[in-house]
Amino acid sequence: MHVLEVQSLQKSYRLSGKVVEAVRDVSFNISAQEVLAFLGPNGAGKTTTIKMIAGLIVPDRGSVAIAGRNPHRQPNALRSLGAVLEGNRNIYWRLTPEENLEYFGVLRGLSGRVARQRAKVLLDRFDLSHKRKTTVQTLSRGMQQKLAIAVALIHEPQLLLLDEPTLGLDVEATQTVKQLVREIAHEGRAILLTTHQLDIAEELSDRVAIINKGKIVAQENTVDLIRQFSGTVYEIELEDGLSRDFLETLGRDRFQKLKSLGALIEKNCIYVRETELLYQALDILKPLAIARIEKDQANLTDIFLKFIREDYYA
Amino acid sequence: MLELLIAQLKWSSIQYRRYASEAIGGVIALTATFYGLFLSASYIGGGSVRFGDRLDSVIVGYVLWSLVIFIMGGIPGTLQREAQVGTLEQLFISPFNATQILLFRAIGDLIIQTFLISIVLIIIMVTTGRWLSFSPALILPFITVVLGAYGIAFAAGGLALIFKSIQQLLGIFNFALLFLLTIPTETWSGTQQVLGWILPMTTGAGLLRDLMARSQPLALPLLGLALLNGLVYFALGVSLFRWAERAAKRRGKLAGY
Ligand SMILES: Nc1ncnc2c1ncn2[C@@H]1O[C@H](COP(=O)(O)OP(=O)(O)O)[C@@H](O)[C@H]1O
Ligand SMILES: [Mg+2]
Repeated sequence: MHVLEVQSLQKSYRLSGKVVEAVRDVSFNISAQEVLAFLGPNGAGKTTTIKMIAGLIVPDRGSVAIAGRNPHRQPNALRSLGAVLEGNRNIYWRLTPEENLEYFGVLRGLSGRVARQRAKVLLDRFDLSHKRKTTVQTLSRGMQQKLAIAVALIHEPQLLLLDEPTLGLDVEATQTVKQLVREIAHEGRAILLTTHQLDIAEELSDRVAIINKGKIVAQENTVDLIRQFSGTVYEIELEDGLSRDFLETLGRDRFQKLKSLGALIEKNCIYVRETELLYQALDILKPLAIARIEKDQANLTDIFLKFIREDYYA
Repeated sequence: MLELLIAQLKWSSIQYRRYASEAIGGVIALTATFYGLFLSASYIGGGSVRFGDRLDSVIVGYVLWSLVIFIMGGIPGTLQREAQVGTLEQLFISPFNATQILLFRAIGDLIIQTFLISIVLIIIMVTTGRWLSFSPALILPFITVVLGAYGIAFAAGGLALIFKSIQQLLGIFNFALLFLLTIPTETWSGTQQVLGWILPMTTGAGLLRDLMARSQPLALPLLGLALLNGLVYFALGVSLFRWAERAAKRRGKLAGY
């Protein structure tokens, strides 16, 4: 069974008369031990999705099930969920790490005794024992974020939500958080993490869902997604001095044909995925002037950007 | 439940102890006020909430007034502070509902505030040699007023969730409070009397006046009415808060925006 099941989530906001469709028909699942990276530019709808899963925003439509329970109707569903939210402290800076862990432990339904025991174990594990009686505000940013993750784990939830967990961290702290995410997934939890730092998604995730303007535009196994593109993507750059509008130069007919090959078209560049398709594309483009043809060494960053732009030009 | 209450109490006491320097201003003001009241037994600050001219009546009036103000600002204050420091949403990710957590935190804060007031009073009584004596029966009407105050606090909390900044509104509340606690509805009759029973906290305050200033025994039917009044306002406040919580979650602005 999936730890998290998200079905057709939909959310629009009304802000000063205008309607923003923040999340449109988003569906995905995550199993135990799996890390899903939610990737998208600012304003894509990542945080809104995460908050709908955490029961903090009521969706217009669609459903969320955490270990089979609906967080909006069954408060007990929240026993299976821990979350570190974006741009929030998430923990009390005026308390010590120990006090934070114990307080939030009880808030998540543990007894005081169990919370104290788990706090000790987590402090050891997260290498914070020596700071356990120091107030959080005097800790380094990295330690604060580590503690926020520890606090999210105090009740041993099956699902962990991390919204931009490495935002604002230095290189070393980022490294630490990455290591932690791997460990936490390894011990059997499902993790949903959002990030715009693509290298992090590439390193940490088993699966990637790319979201743009509220819609999931690609959802694939991370390794497959990279393999699908790397090495076998060709970039054809056309000379576009002829017309101000490249699409005009290309013509509607050619545009449709290229699309049916599965090509991505962006500015004056066309991307195709296989060698065979390259020649078909060249046939279609004949006799337009070509400036450059290149085999693309894609990494996730490029793939990500292409999908985003693709959607933009569509 | 009990575990949560204990954890909240611990949370509040840590805040007070660790940030004593911030609380100290409040304690000094409290001490000065009580000291002034002891010396003159006359008007100071909320001193117009008086249950008679004797020192103990004045003190009871002042304590009630200051505690109710403390309670009414407590829940919206918590919500605003938590939203500011970025912990508010974590309170809503809990198998306990937010109402419960906020109530327990408010109770924790109230216990500590009451404790502080008691300490200050005892110290002043020792130093001035003037001793107050209260009837334990006072606690009952006191509780009915406190219930109503919590209802208003939840209502204000609900407004804070939706409108975010409600300082001005709280100012108006405090002004209305003076009216509610001082208006002598116990002397009203007929439809006016019914109106008096409907106003929040007024009946309980009237009972306190009867006890303190008029030295009348506690009128049980009226106490029942005051209790009912407190419960109804508490329930109304909590319902309004729940509704506001839902509305904030629908608009995606639980923690700002
Ligand atoms: N409470 C809100 N009211 C109005 N608009 C909102 C609200 N929250 C988010 N938005 C808008 O919805 C879109 C998605 O936002 P968000 O989910 O925060 O995206 P992301 O986390 O991917 O950056 C953005 O255009 C944002 O401006
Ligand atoms: Mg975001």
